[in-house]
Amino acid sequence: MPSRGARPEDGSGLVPTDNSTQHKEDLSSKIKEQKIVVDELSNLKKNRKVYRQQQNSDIFFLADRTEMLSESKNTLDELRKEYQEIENSEKTKIKK
Amino acid sequence: PAMEAPPDPGPHASASASAAAPLRAPEVARLREEQEKVVTNCQEKIQHWKKVDNDYNALEERLSTLPDKLSYNIMVPFGPFAFMPGKLVHTNEVTVLLGDNWFAKCSAKQAVGLVEHRKEHVRKTIDDLKKVMKNFESRVEFTEDLQKMSDAAGDIVDIREEIKTDFEFKAKHRIAHKPHSKPKTSGIFEAEFSNDLKSKDLLADKELWDRLEELERQEELLGEIDIDSKPDTLIANGEDTSSEEEKEDQNINVNMMNQVMDSLTPSNCYQNVTNSELFNGQVNSQWNCSINGSNSYHNNEDEEEDDDDGGDNENDHDTLGAEDNSIPTIYFSHTVEPKRVRINTGKNTTLKFSEKKEEAKRKRKNSSGSGHSPQELPMIRTPADIYRVFVDIVNGEYVPRKSILKSRSRENSVCSDTSESSAADFDDRRGVLRSISCEEATCSDANESILDEEQQENHQKKLFPLSVTPEAFSGTVIEKEFLSPSLTPHPAMAHPVLPTIPERKEVLSEVSEGTTKRVSKFKAARLQQKN
Repeated sequence: MPSRGARPEDGSGLVPTDNSTQHKEDLSSKIKEQKIVVDELSNLKKNRKVYRQQQNSDIFFLADRTEMLSESKNTLDELRKEYQEIENSEKTKIKK
Repeated sequence: PAMEAPPDPGPHASASASAAAPLRAPEVARLREEQEKVVTNCQEKIQHWKKVDNDYNALEERLSTLPDKLSYNIMVPFGPFAFMPGKLVHTNEVTVLLGDNWFAKCSAKQAVGLVEHRKEHVRKTIDDLKKVMKNFESRVEFTEDLQKMSDAAGDIVDIREEIKTDFEFKAKHRIAHKPHSKPKTSGIFEAEFSNDLKSKDLLADKELWDRLEELERQEELLGEIDIDSKPDTLIANGEDTSSEEEKEDQNINVNMMNQVMDSLTPSNCYQNVTNSELFNGQVNSQWNCSINGSNSYHNNEDEEEDDDDGGDNENDHDTLGAEDNSIPTIYFSHTVEPKRVRINTGKNTTLKFSEKKEEAKRKRKNSSGSGHSPQELPMIRTPADIYRVFVDIVNGEYVPRKSILKSRSRENSVCSDTSESSAADFDDRRGVLRSISCEEATCSDANESILDEEQQENHQKKLFPLSVTPEAFSGTVIEKEFLSPSLTPHPAMAHPVLPTIPERKEVLSEVSEGTTKRVSKFKAARLQQKN
C-alpha cells in the first residue's frame, strides 16, 4: 500500500522581532504555509499515512492523520489570531 | 579630580577629542557603523541560539515519550533525499554525541538530563548576547546623538551636568572667620579696582548697594543658590573693604551674570521639554535638558565645582542632541558606586564596607525610628560648622581645636592604631555620622546624585579626623561613627544649635549639660553597650 508521506512540519514558535512589519510579514508567510498544510491534510485519502518530521533531523515518525489535521488547523487559527491582533494594534496606533 | 571614563572608549574619546580637536564626521559615522554591525551580529546569533533552544525542546519532548512504545514506524532516511519505511526499535537506548566523535549510550531519561544541561548553556549564551546587544544599541544611540551634534554646530561641545537643587547647599555664603582677611580675588577684579577713580566710588557704591539689595531679594525668591561662575563679566565698580562683602559681591555678581548669561544663551532643550515653563528642580531623568528660564542652575561648562571629588564615582555619559542650538551640549549625570573603604576598627581589624549599604542601613534605621533622632545631632553643612561642633571642653570652657587633624591625647590610647569602640557599634555610629552630615540633604537616593555622595564624603572626610568620641584620636583618617549623644562628653555638640566659635571665648548658653570629664574609650564602649 503506497504510503504517502505527507509531512506536516511542526509549527515552530514565532520569533518576536522588534520591527512589527517584519513580524507581520513573517506571520503572513507562515499563515500561507499552514494553509497549504491544512489543505493537503484534508485532501488525503483515508488510507494514507502521515509522518511527522522530527525537528532538525531527517527522521519521520508515523503520526495519526486526523490528529495531525486537527493540530494543523489549530496552529493555523492561532497564527491568524496573532496576525489580526497585530493588525488591530497597528490600526489603533495609526488612529492615534 | 579626574573624570572617570565611561565604560565605552569610543564616545569618550570623541567627546574628549571635541575639546581638543573637532569631531570628525567620517570617524563618527564609521563608529556608528561598526556598532550597528555588532548589534546585527548579535541579533543573528541570538536567532541562531533560539532555534537551537527550540530544537532541544522538541527533542526533549520526543525523548520523553520515546520509550512508551516498543517500536515506531518511521521513514528511514537513505542519504539526503530518499526514504524507506522502517521501524525504530530499542526505543530506550539512545546514543548521545558528546563531541569530538565520542558517543555515550544511555537511556532516554538520561538523555533528557543531558539535553537539559545543554539547554542551560544555550540559555546563558542567549542572555549574554542580549546584554551585549543592549549595550551596543545604547552606544549606537549615543553615537547618533554625537553625530547630530557635530553636524549641528561646529566643534565646540558643551558638557553640562545638572545639579539637583535639593542637594544644593542651602547655606549662606561663606563668611570668613577672620573678618578682615581678604580672600583671593580674580585678577580682573583687582584690575577693575585699580582703574577706578575715587570720585566714582561713592556713586558706584550706592549703585552697588542698590544692586546688592535687588539681587538679594531675587535670590530669596529663587531660593539660595550657590553658584560659582566666572566672575569676570559683571564686576562691581566699587571696592569693598571687608572680605565678606567682597564675597557677597562676587556671588551676587555671579548671580547677575548668570541671569545675563541665561538670557544670552539659547535654550538647550531636549525634544519634549518646553522652555519657559519648566522650573529648575525638575530634573526628571538623566536625559532632561537644561531649562531656559530666568534662573538656570546650570553652571557654565568649565565651572562645575563639586563633581569629581569622590573616588569611585561613575559617570553616566549621556548626550542630548541640541536641536536648534549654537552649542551642542552633552548632559551627563553621575551615578554613584558604592565606595568600599577600609576601616580601622579596634583590635587591629579592618572592615570593608560600602557606603551604599551603610546609607541604606541608616535610612532603614531612621525610617524605623530606632535610629538616632536627627534633632540630637548638629547640622553640619559647611566646613565651618565642623569647627563649631567639634570643640573641646577644657576646664568647663569651650576651646576650639587648633587642628582637627591632630590627635587629642595619645595617653588615652592603648593600642597603636587607636581606633576606638567595638565593631559592634560601628554600624550604628556610621549611621549617626551620616545623619549628621546629610540629614537635610535628602539622602533619599544615594544612587542618584553625586552631590549627595560628595557632600557625604566631604563631610565625612572632614569629620573623620575628628574624634567625636572622647577617646584618643589617631592621626589616621578613620571613618568613625558619631557616638550617640549620651556618650559624648560634649553633649552640647549633639544639639542642633551650633555653638559659636569659642575662639572668641564665648560661653555657650545652650549647653544643657556639660560633662567635662573625658571618658576613656573602653568606658565609652561599655556605656554604649549598656544603651
